[in-house]
Amino acid sequence: MALILTSEEQALADSVRRFVADRSPLTSLRHLMAAGEPYDADVWKQMTAQLGLAGLTIPESYGGVGAGYSALSVALTELGAGLVASPLLANLLAAEVLLRLEDTEASDDLLPKIAGGELIATLATASQAGGRVTASGSPIGATLTGTVSPVLNGAEASVLIVPAEADGVTGLYLVDAGADGPTATRLTAVDHSRSLARITLDGTPARELAGDAVAALAAAQDLANLALASESAGAMKACLDMTSNYAKIRVAFGQPIGAFQAVKHRLADMEKSWELGYAAVRDAARAGDAEPGRFPAAATAARVLLAPAYADAAVDTVQLHGGIGFTWEHDAHLYYKNGMSNKVLLGGPGDQLDRLADLLGI
Amino acid sequence: MSDDFRTRARSWLEANAPRRRAADEDEDASPVTLADQKAFQAKLYDAGFAGITWPREYGGQGLTGLEQIAWSLETRDFDLPNGAFFIGLSMPGNTILEVGSEAQKKRYLPPMLRGDEIWCQLFSEPGAGSDVASLQTSALRDGDEWVLNGQKVWTSGAQFSDYGAILARTDPTKPKHNGISMFIVDMHAPGVTVRPLKVATGHSPFNEVFFDNVRMPGDALIGEENKGWDAAVVMLRHERIAIGTMGGFRTNPLGYESLRDVAAGLGRTGEPGTRRRLAELYARQRATGLFATLLREEAQVGRMPGARGSVAKLAGSDLGRFAGNVAEDVLGDQLAAYDSDEIAAVATMIVAAPGNAIAGGTSEIQRNIIGERVLGLAKDPGVDRSTPFNQLRVGTQRQN
Repeated sequence: MALILTSEEQALADSVRRFVADRSPLTSLRHLMAAGEPYDADVWKQMTAQLGLAGLTIPESYGGVGAGYSALSVALTELGAGLVASPLLANLLAAEVLLRLEDTEASDDLLPKIAGGELIATLATASQAGGRVTASGSPIGATLTGTVSPVLNGAEASVLIVPAEADGVTGLYLVDAGADGPTATRLTAVDHSRSLARITLDGTPARELAGDAVAALAAAQDLANLALASESAGAMKACLDMTSNYAKIRVAFGQPIGAFQAVKHRLADMEKSWELGYAAVRDAARAGDAEPGRFPAAATAARVLLAPAYADAAVDTVQLHGGIGFTWEHDAHLYYKNGMSNKVLLGGPGDQLDRLADLLGI
Repeated sequence: MSDDFRTRARSWLEANAPRRRAADEDEDASPVTLADQKAFQAKLYDAGFAGITWPREYGGQGLTGLEQIAWSLETRDFDLPNGAFFIGLSMPGNTILEVGSEAQKKRYLPPMLRGDEIWCQLFSEPGAGSDVASLQTSALRDGDEWVLNGQKVWTSGAQFSDYGAILARTDPTKPKHNGISMFIVDMHAPGVTVRPLKVATGHSPFNEVFFDNVRMPGDALIGEENKGWDAAVVMLRHERIAIGTMGGFRTNPLGYESLRDVAAGLGRTGEPGTRRRLAELYARQRATGLFATLLREEAQVGRMPGARGSVAKLAGSDLGRFAGNVAEDVLGDQLAAYDSDEIAAVATMIVAAPGNAIAGGTSEIQRNIIGERVLGLAKDPGVDRSTPFNQLRVGTQRQN
């Protein structure tokens, strides 16, 4: 399999890009921000029903598209470029966990609904600093107690998959966000395009899912790394294009500012970091489909490179635009905050380097 | 492209070329001599693998870029003993092919391909590096001939070259880019002096070349008089492509694999800081290689790398610097003084790293190229493009 896009992947990229431009331009994100809404329900419906994005990694037998990681990465790159607010990542991680576990009942029930965009599911996982959950009772009649934060779309999800410990053993538990469900408190997310919540469980009823919870969580981490690296690749390219274009039209000291090496060289370095990061994302996406044994290290390496590179590029985007780039009206801060968030969500840079070192056997 | 070519290339290489050595194998005791290199190049020529994309009438194979890429891919596992011809074929050779006269192509290209004649490239001067168009070596007409005077520097292979492609100023009253011509100079001619140039590592991989009233025939001109800059641009483009597609060294002492082993040997792989540094080096090194692969894949489907070759070069130089920093973390004070070959190799590579960010176009020039030709930013403002050369300050001249 090649690093360059196949014609099908290119077509998918083009259609998602058109969709973002038509249906979810950055002005839409501004509307959501003003209204305090986590995402646009109509846009989400089209992303799932029309583009099939929630089912890209779900097999056709469960109502998904079964297209694989490479296609998913291509779509996420375009969505990331447009900072499209949606519960897609939450659903992808929940689906990944279900696909790795061996709980037929949950898979048969939930995967078709996730693929069809009929429900929002999330994986309630965070770093140790984000709290911990303990389970008690029997696997079928378990109860969970504890807190987790931040949880992707925790306030919007109707189904949560919660890692919890019972006697020192990690299990994954299915929790309904109904009347007896957990308390979800939507937090102030630094990134305007993500909805994040604190989940508080207090004797909340749950059912333990069958299968290897530790392996499923590792797979979810790999997918999260590929997804966040892909989104970051798209968003970083958007920053590079935005800033290069500005450097061509903004004049200072009688020259377009891009003529000055202080500006030009910073953009050249941004281009270099983007090219390297993008190549690493393509490698990870390809490995996800064709060389699963290599996928964990490849996905982690891509995230290790791209998350900080994008965050730096977003800072440079503000800086090279000068004062206008630091205003609320300008889009630079939307990327800056997204870059910050992408860097730390689901494991920050140090955690990812530790994970990569483990995977490489250093 | 037929798979036949690739199969044929593979089997010829298996039978005739030494394999690349792995890192843990001993260095071959016997160095490859110039005679060995000439013999190997002749064998390569006879087998039909020299000048793959060059026309048949000049000794080439008349094949396409696809066969060239297939050849590059197949040769990655081998250590071809013909490095002396690398510069000549990829730079002066390709330039003569593009802008040389019919007589020059017929005279010089076949012996170059057969390994009979070795070439070097003479651009840089002590006062003209990044700004090579400010060069001061002069070529003046004398009857039907040209008389060459001046000094070139950083010339690889000058000590064993038969010919060189040289840039010289032929009209100092014109702005700097418009008064330069390119010539073929006989490196054995009277007045040519080659001296090894010792660099920071203590090695002498380059030369200084002095020209003292060296006479060149009238037909030594490549392309038109005072149009040498156009020919130089062609050659620099070939240089970047050649450097960008050279491929990495599998036995690099500053590579991730090597430094990981060094760290393990020092019992430092349990330290969180060291583990993170090594993991980051792995990610950066791998991405640099993947980007080169991506460029090759794009070329295979007809999307040429163009100025993005400069991204590859910049990335390679930056990786070297980063790897040096990691090595300093891993080795700590053991890098300050040593009596082991392993650490000596690491130290030498760190000392050599800045050279990679200078040779073949500095990182600053690469960033200009990326900014201007990849991102489309405006060119640097400058007075040098319109001022007659003899009124321009160049090199380290003091202003009068």
